[in-house]
Amino acid sequence: MAEGSRLYFAVTVLMCAFVSINGVGLNDLLERASQLSDKLHSLSTSLTNDLDSHFPPLGRVMMPRPSMCHTSSLQIPNDKDQALKVPEDELLSLARSLLLAWSDPLTLLSSEASSLAHPERNSINSKTKELQDNINSLGAGLEHVVHKMGSSSDNLSSLPFPISTLGQDKTSRLVNFHFLLSCFRRDSHKIDSFLKVLRCRAAKRPEMC
Amino acid sequence: MAYSLSLSLLYLGLLCGNGLVSARGSELFAPDPNGGPHFTGCRSREQETFRCWWSAGTFQNLTEPGALRVFYQTKHPLFSEWQECPDYTRTVENECYFNKTFTHIWTSYCVHLRSVPQNITYDVDCFTVENIVHPDPPIGLNWTLLNVSRSGLHFDILVRWAPPPSADVQMGWMSLTYQVQYRVRNASQWEMLDLESGTQQSIYALLTDKEYEVRVRCKMSAFDNFGEFSDSIIVHVAQIPSKESTFPTTLVSIFGLIGVVILLVLLIFSQQQRLMVIFLPPIPAPKIKGIDPELLKNGKLDQLNSLLSSQDMYKLDFYHEDPWVEFIQLDLDDPAEKNDGSDTQHLLGLSHSGSSRILNFKSDDDSGRASCYDPEIPDPEDMASLLPGHSGRGEQHPLVSRSSSSIPDLGVQQTSEVVETPVQIQPAVPSWVNMDFYAQVSDFTPAGGVVLSPGQLNGSPEKKKEDENEKKKIQFQLVSDGAYTSETTARQFPADVPPSPGPEQGYQSFPTLAVEGNLWNGEYLVSASDSQTPYLLPEAPPVPILPPVSDYTVVQEVDAQHSLLLNPPSSQPTVCSHSPNKHLPAMPTMPMGYLTPDLLGNLTP
Repeated sequence: MAEGSRLYFAVTVLMCAFVSINGVGLNDLLERASQLSDKLHSLSTSLTNDLDSHFPPLGRVMMPRPSMCHTSSLQIPNDKDQALKVPEDELLSLARSLLLAWSDPLTLLSSEASSLAHPERNSINSKTKELQDNINSLGAGLEHVVHKMGSSSDNLSSLPFPISTLGQDKTSRLVNFHFLLSCFRRDSHKIDSFLKVLRCRAAKRPEMC
Repeated sequence: MAYSLSLSLLYLGLLCGNGLVSARGSELFAPDPNGGPHFTGCRSREQETFRCWWSAGTFQNLTEPGALRVFYQTKHPLFSEWQECPDYTRTVENECYFNKTFTHIWTSYCVHLRSVPQNITYDVDCFTVENIVHPDPPIGLNWTLLNVSRSGLHFDILVRWAPPPSADVQMGWMSLTYQVQYRVRNASQWEMLDLESGTQQSIYALLTDKEYEVRVRCKMSAFDNFGEFSDSIIVHVAQIPSKESTFPTTLVSIFGLIGVVILLVLLIFSQQQRLMVIFLPPIPAPKIKGIDPELLKNGKLDQLNSLLSSQDMYKLDFYHEDPWVEFIQLDLDDPAEKNDGSDTQHLLGLSHSGSSRILNFKSDDDSGRASCYDPEIPDPEDMASLLPGHSGRGEQHPLVSRSSSSIPDLGVQQTSEVVETPVQIQPAVPSWVNMDFYAQVSDFTPAGGVVLSPGQLNGSPEKKKEDENEKKKIQFQLVSDGAYTSETTARQFPADVPPSPGPEQGYQSFPTLAVEGNLWNGEYLVSASDSQTPYLLPEAPPVPILPPVSDYTVVQEVDAQHSLLLNPPSSQPTVCSHSPNKHLPAMPTMPMGYLTPDLLGNLTP
């Protein structure tokens, strides 16, 4: 009797330890992360659509080139083949670097969103806040993924965002807001694509991805 | 920092002017107004390659191949100078194909349409590749029947498809969203269903015996460019005839309906009265609790009075609280007894005994008056005998307007005082009375008035009724105008009073009570005095104290046994105030009635 109970106890402890070590599977984590990045990308698209709905034509002319985004210096795979060749750790760290690079700019955007000279200001404001929340939760989730994958978490590229204000007059504020948002939209698409590739590579056999 | 940013933006904008568009780009341009060479579009099918097409427009001399060339520039770090189209498609005219090597996602491109010999740039198009992706149509569209409705008129289907093979959704390089459309065959409008991220969708409520077309297309999630539609499939479900099953159903339902209608009609007719009450409830007539409305309409006045008096709850309380009032109440039906009324006997007998236990005069807790009636200080020699009024010829009861302080919630003014009819002085009660204060009720008039006789200071017989001949009759006017009268009306009465000998002010002026539904059928005895205020005014000049009893006295106070204590003739002046101390102010020999504090203030010099 005592032997049986002891055995039972040992098995329970082992199972608990196993579960706690593994916890949620990597696949589930990546699935969840890619869902979040999907949401992030959709939000940024809808924000851009809202802004475009009443955007002054002059603003389009004044819009900076995409290469002026502060994240353009990051070396990323530009097509599918390259993305497939990049190791998973690097993909993950690229995604995390991009995510990290946007936390400060989004703070600036959300603080400026309420005073934007745009008729859709309220919707833009709420979506920007939602964007911030999403970024934070995605960042936290990717931390878990990092620990799960066992990769080192300190090889993030630093992409400083030196701008502290969007501008003095309403037009330049609006234009810069739009520009930042379009940069973010592109970067959110990158994050989404990288995480989806990562999800495929972590879940399925690597030759299929 | 911001200033420099703005400046740089402006500079860049000016530099890159002439048709520079935002990074989202648009691959299709409005045609050149001149009809010259222009790009007709740039598209990518799978986000790995893309193509651009152009047209020479109306410029006929540029139609031969090679006349127009495409140059592009990208902001890719490695290739930042102008390059020519990597591949002019041979099979398709005026198409430039960028293969995988030359396609960089997330990089912006600008393609120029130039005529090299003249070095003229006819058109420019700038975009990023992910923004020009139009996925291929889905493949493998098929449908399965989900169910057919009970009536056989409608059916639901489940439509399935597969993603286009060119889009690498497995790896997640592209995530697609689909849109299904259907219509009745050869109709003009397509019904659009919501976007679907999976590869199947249900369509509900299609009509049998009709042919439907279903098609599907897809786009990249979070982008706006739909690809081409897939080929349509035809959906058709034949209607199954099942008439024989419907006939009995129809018959049964018709008969059932008729039966239900008949039942309802029967129910309504049988319960008509009740239903009328439920749906059209009678409006309740106003009624006083306990009073028969019929009596109100048709009853005689005395019945009504008795009814109302019996109904008046306050009066009932008053009855219970003030038993001495009962003594005053006349028994109109039995004139013979009035002299031998037990109340009178009671009064007299008690007065002889000298006990203070005569009448219970309930002291009011919330009396507003400056009551001289302190129940805690008995005055044995003060006997109060309240003689009931003369047995009336009038049908009215003698009025004793009890102080309304026994009626708590009537909001009566503090001015209300206990009013009593003049009391008969018992022989044992050596109270002198200033006839100015009181008048003895000597008789009742048929009209309901109370005839008062001013008391003489010589001892008058106890029976007040015999004194009428010698006494001045002061007509008290019964106020019978309903529940109460106002002070103003009370003040009017003095005008009607014939002058009485001596100072008239001594008569109590019975305060009028602005009380609803009060005592004695709402009638009050109003003093005919010409006093200025409704209060008892001790403004009569001082009268020497006479040992002989007069006809009436003042109820000075109430002792603990609720006896009325009349003013002792030899007593020192007592002030009637709400303090236990009773001292008359400045009129030493004046029997005081009730004094309110403000009255007291008036009196003190």
